[in-house]
Amino acid sequence: MSLHRRAATRRKVVLMAVAAALLLVWVFPLIWAVIVSFKSESDVLAYPPTVFFEPIGRNYEDALFGDFSILDSLATSAIVSVSTTVLTIVLAVPAAYAFARLKLPAKKSIGFYTLATQMVPPVGLVIPYFLILNKVSMLDTYTGMIIVYLTFSLPFAIWLMVSYMEDIPFEMEEAAFLDKATRWQTLWHIIIPQVRGGIAVTVIFVFLNAWNEFLFAVQLGGNTVRPVTVAMYNFVSVEQTLWAKLSAAALIAMLPVVIIGIAAQKQIVKGLTIGAVKGGGRR
Amino acid sequence: MSHKPNSSGRARSGLVTRRDILKTTLAGATSLAAPGLMIGRAHAAGEYMDLASFQGAGINWRMAEGEKITIAVIPAGYFNNLETVLPDFVTLTGVEARLEMIPPGQIRQKAVLDLSSKTGTYASHAADPMYYELYVANGWIDPLDDYLGDDKLTDAAWFDYEDIQPGHRGATSVDGRPYGIPYDGEATIQIYRKDVYDAKGIAPAETLDEYRANAEAVHDPDNRLWGCALRGFRGAGQNMYIYPSIFRSFGGEWFDGERVVVDSPEALAALEYYVSLLNAYAPAGVENWNWPDIADAFSQGTLGSYIDAHGSAAVVANPEKSKVVGNIGFARWPKGPSGKRVTSIWNWSFPINGALSEKQKQATWLFAQWAGSKEVQVATTYNYPGAYKRTGANRASLWKDAKFLELMSGFGHNYVEAATESFANDTDPDWRPRLPQWPAVGDTMATAIQSALVGQATPAAALKDAQEKIDKILKG
Repeated sequence: MSLHRRAATRRKVVLMAVAAALLLVWVFPLIWAVIVSFKSESDVLAYPPTVFFEPIGRNYEDALFGDFSILDSLATSAIVSVSTTVLTIVLAVPAAYAFARLKLPAKKSIGFYTLATQMVPPVGLVIPYFLILNKVSMLDTYTGMIIVYLTFSLPFAIWLMVSYMEDIPFEMEEAAFLDKATRWQTLWHIIIPQVRGGIAVTVIFVFLNAWNEFLFAVQLGGNTVRPVTVAMYNFVSVEQTLWAKLSAAALIAMLPVVIIGIAAQKQIVKGLTIGAVKGGGRR
Repeated sequence: MSHKPNSSGRARSGLVTRRDILKTTLAGATSLAAPGLMIGRAHAAGEYMDLASFQGAGINWRMAEGEKITIAVIPAGYFNNLETVLPDFVTLTGVEARLEMIPPGQIRQKAVLDLSSKTGTYASHAADPMYYELYVANGWIDPLDDYLGDDKLTDAAWFDYEDIQPGHRGATSVDGRPYGIPYDGEATIQIYRKDVYDAKGIAPAETLDEYRANAEAVHDPDNRLWGCALRGFRGAGQNMYIYPSIFRSFGGEWFDGERVVVDSPEALAALEYYVSLLNAYAPAGVENWNWPDIADAFSQGTLGSYIDAHGSAAVVANPEKSKVVGNIGFARWPKGPSGKRVTSIWNWSFPINGALSEKQKQATWLFAQWAGSKEVQVATTYNYPGAYKRTGANRASLWKDAKFLELMSGFGHNYVEAATESFANDTDPDWRPRLPQWPAVGDTMATAIQSALVGQATPAAALKDAQEKIDKILKG
């Protein structure tokens, strides 16, 4: 019996150690960035690494208010990401509902083509987007950038939301229809409360993608629309990399995502598990 | 993006003095009475430069007044300085010019996209000299001899194009015609630890063999001092920046008629030198090092020497970052077996986008001429009010200017001599193979060099593979 228990304990310890080791691989860069962001540029590269040092706040000050202030870019990122997220959800929820519930002609192929737009590597889209935006004079504008972001966030969101909607038992809607509810009322009062978790997950992913996007931002933006991912690059000049300031800027840029993540955590966990259990299925 | 010089002298006080009000009122009155006069009056003095020295040029600086141009540049100290003094250009010309900072990794694609689609988004951009063949082959940019030779557009005596470093002029010309005005450029030099070399009783290398011997003499990894380092990271501007110099100094020729040859015996000898040198005396991981990494290591005192752009002196001699200030020496590139020293001709220059309207082209030419002029070079180097002083002045006359040399001599032993002689004698416009397909050729070579460095392929196999790929690329 004790042998058994000892084996179980050992198993646990080994599992924990493996988990910790794996986790460290992912977390280490983050830890490193946090430490570096409080060091002076000359301490960053010191060898052996300085473990005890006087933490300084200057890097954060410089990142926010210095020569390469990222403040304006944070605002730009916020405008672009929030607009993209809101528009995506507003459009994706009814669209997903339609795919999940309505009898549409050619539903299968429409569904496929919605997702097919995601099969083109983004690099292949940069040039067409550039030319189109240039034609309609929307290069380096918020409208242009948000429309471009919608082109990849929307299919993704629809596809994600469909799977959540399909999980809702049809009987719930039937009850509403018997009470003479319209489609929109059903969607609003029955479906949306049921897929709250799914919406939260979608919001996070869409926001995260828009916030961290770089390729389109750098090619289609400019001095007016210059998200934080592009602005951060100013700390990596051809002459030198200002590691401490770059880390500080990166951590500041992470903050909104982390906050939203924490705020929506409960919903996300719920949303992920709902999505994983296939009970209702398509009818 | 705002960029301000750090000097308190430039800070504007918020207080309005009686004299300010008087001045404003007077200017207002004058402008009402004689609008034509006001322009001359109000712009007599620029914020950073005396505009009179520009107006001395026999051209009408206001020929393109009211035009709007955007110029793409990269985030770098030398362009920040240019951005700071840019308001003087606006004052002088009435052209609304603005700089847009694009990360170095993306500026080339963005420029090519703009030029090839003829959108005219960027009137000019900080151009990579290796891209001129591509631009010219497609007719995307204007030849500048038309502008330089037109006395309405250029005062030849005032601008003095011939004063621009010969290597940089060569690098921005195609078939003898100029296509870009160099703004900032560099020469490649040896940078070494004078204290360590002195203690060992060795002098900076005159030849590549001596460079290896020096690396061996100071190599002491147990005490965290490695013999040397060169750019090892894969990229047309990384390892394919340093290898071409070695290749050329081994006597290598890129072209055999129309064909690009990268697997000649000279190429093999050069690559073997590079690989064996770095494997023996460079720190582990050098295959991922670009030049900032090398300069950082040198600043930490862990490198005996390296060979790179003369501008890196500003980093390794910066007391805020470097532990070796006061112990740095400089020398020219060592000679290769062919007896040649070959430095890069790297520079950032401004071409004129061919898709612009005539008026915009004039505005862009005024900008290029202004940025390349001696006055702006002075205003962004030793006269710059901020902390960062450029080292990449584009003009030979500046490298004879006592004030500029005084600034440069602060970097360490023999710096001015090494840089001046390199600019004068060691630059080689054929340092890298100049052809429209350079982007693809450069990448192919970069991959080959790195695979040899990390031992994935022997130097001979790597070059043979690269040759086959390049043959295919050029066949189209």
